[in-house]
Amino acid sequence: MRKHDPKNGEEPGGASRRDFLRGSGLAAASAVLTGAATTALDEARAADDGPKVLSGEVEITLKVNGEDRKTTVEPRSTLLDTLRNRLDVTGPKRVCDRASCGACTAIVDGDPVYSCTTLAVTCQGKTIETVESFDVGEQGVPHAFHQNDGLMCGYCTPGFVTACKALLDKNPNPTLDEVRRGLDGNICRCGTYIGVLQAALDAAKAMKGA
Amino acid sequence: MNAFDFAAPTTVEDAVKLLGVPDAEALSGGTDLLGRLKDYASSPKRVVYLKDVKALAGISGDATDGLTIGAGTRLADVLADKAVKESYPALWQATLEVGTPQIRNMATVGGNLLQRPRCWYYRAGNGLLAVKDGKSLVREGDNRYHAIFETDGDALFVNPSSLAVPLIALGAKAVVAGPRGERTIAVEDLYQIPKSGKDSELTLAPGEVVTKLVLPPAKGLNASYEARQKQAHDWPIVLASVNLNLDDHKVASSRIVVYGVAPIPWRSKAAEEALAGKLLNPESAAAAAAASIAAAKPLSMNAYKVGLTQTVVKRALMVAMGNRYWEG
Repeated sequence: MRKHDPKNGEEPGGASRRDFLRGSGLAAASAVLTGAATTALDEARAADDGPKVLSGEVEITLKVNGEDRKTTVEPRSTLLDTLRNRLDVTGPKRVCDRASCGACTAIVDGDPVYSCTTLAVTCQGKTIETVESFDVGEQGVPHAFHQNDGLMCGYCTPGFVTACKALLDKNPNPTLDEVRRGLDGNICRCGTYIGVLQAALDAAKAMKGA
Repeated sequence: MNAFDFAAPTTVEDAVKLLGVPDAEALSGGTDLLGRLKDYASSPKRVVYLKDVKALAGISGDATDGLTIGAGTRLADVLADKAVKESYPALWQATLEVGTPQIRNMATVGGNLLQRPRCWYYRAGNGLLAVKDGKSLVREGDNRYHAIFETDGDALFVNPSSLAVPLIALGAKAVVAGPRGERTIAVEDLYQIPKSGKDSELTLAPGEVVTKLVLPPAKGLNASYEARQKQAHDWPIVLASVNLNLDDHKVASSRIVVYGVAPIPWRSKAAEEALAGKLLNPESAAAAAAASIAAAKPLSMNAYKVGLTQTVVKRALMVAMGNRYWEG
């Protein structure tokens, strides 16, 4: 069973019922009288080794840029809001908040994903990389963006740089078409795509020289 | 988004138990559910995360014996699968353009099949049928992306799954785990046209989870073709998948399924009948495409989809023949 609440370690069963009742507070306490919550409770009793139902505030640990970061979130907190508002990791940007624009892109277990549409509680035990951890030297992706004027207002840039890094990690020698497809999940409102695409190709070359 | 309780089971049995209460929703890639939560189109009391159920992910089998795709398999992993790419191009092609690289790294096959409609009236909180004071917001409003078939009733949204269409064309079955055990149904039986605002467009009962998709051996020709408003991350406007079994160059049997035109993945029996027994060539493809739109009844703003459907069905058949004449 995955550990979602470090306070309770791997202790199964019993802890889940206590958490369920303690964490859900007044709202759930009154809801216990209704059918739904009663069923849930009966179920928790029946399956002593069943998974925990988390509610209210949950303590989690996220591995962000190589560091274990402990924080408290609600199950509904997105990875993006947790990074920005709880952990002060502000590289990923909140723009559309609907998995459309790419400004919130983070690399989770090696894959670029939209952190605005990922729940923080689902990211425990995973490796989370953001633009803060990238090489800013001449072999790095950020330098290539700088050299190619790959930004105008700059708000989409961390997302683009992150998507670009994730692409090059998997495909160190992409064609222009592969770069286009790889960066397809990010939007630049200013329209500086020419610079972005060239930056990706240049970064691929620079990384090989490293 | 409203608060909810959260559980992350690691077995299908636990997932079924946890989902078997009222107001519970399954979460996988989250690309549909998170948007609905944020827009208050859905406000479940409990969210059950399925990606820790490792048994749900992965692809096994081959084109000779049939392929089994776990419902929790990410779209990126479907695209990376050699058997899908080589033997089930209808599925591969339809998956290729779903969303973006980030979406395909998150989204799963089961989630794609069971995502809720993208009708903007539904997403804005007007209910699935978007009927207000006895009037259809869709029929009287902006319906440019809505249905052109089965439009006599109130369900005017289109089914949003790009993967349902090739899977139905390929004759895939869905294995469903539930409180009363496991059942296997045709993928098309996951969907229904809701008759009233109380009905869902999905047929799954509370607590039921799609665990895997079983594709029969790839014997005939299969292909997909889609048309988009522009080459960007959006849904296709119309997508057609075809699967043809030939006998001496004649079409012995076929399945022709269209996305974006009806509240369910639209199987065009009329097109299939037009093609039955015919030699497979551009003329018979054109005749089948013409038959596919005979029953269309477009709304006030989407008559363009009728012509588009005809073209997309024809081109899907031509792709199956290996003839992309429009590319010159």
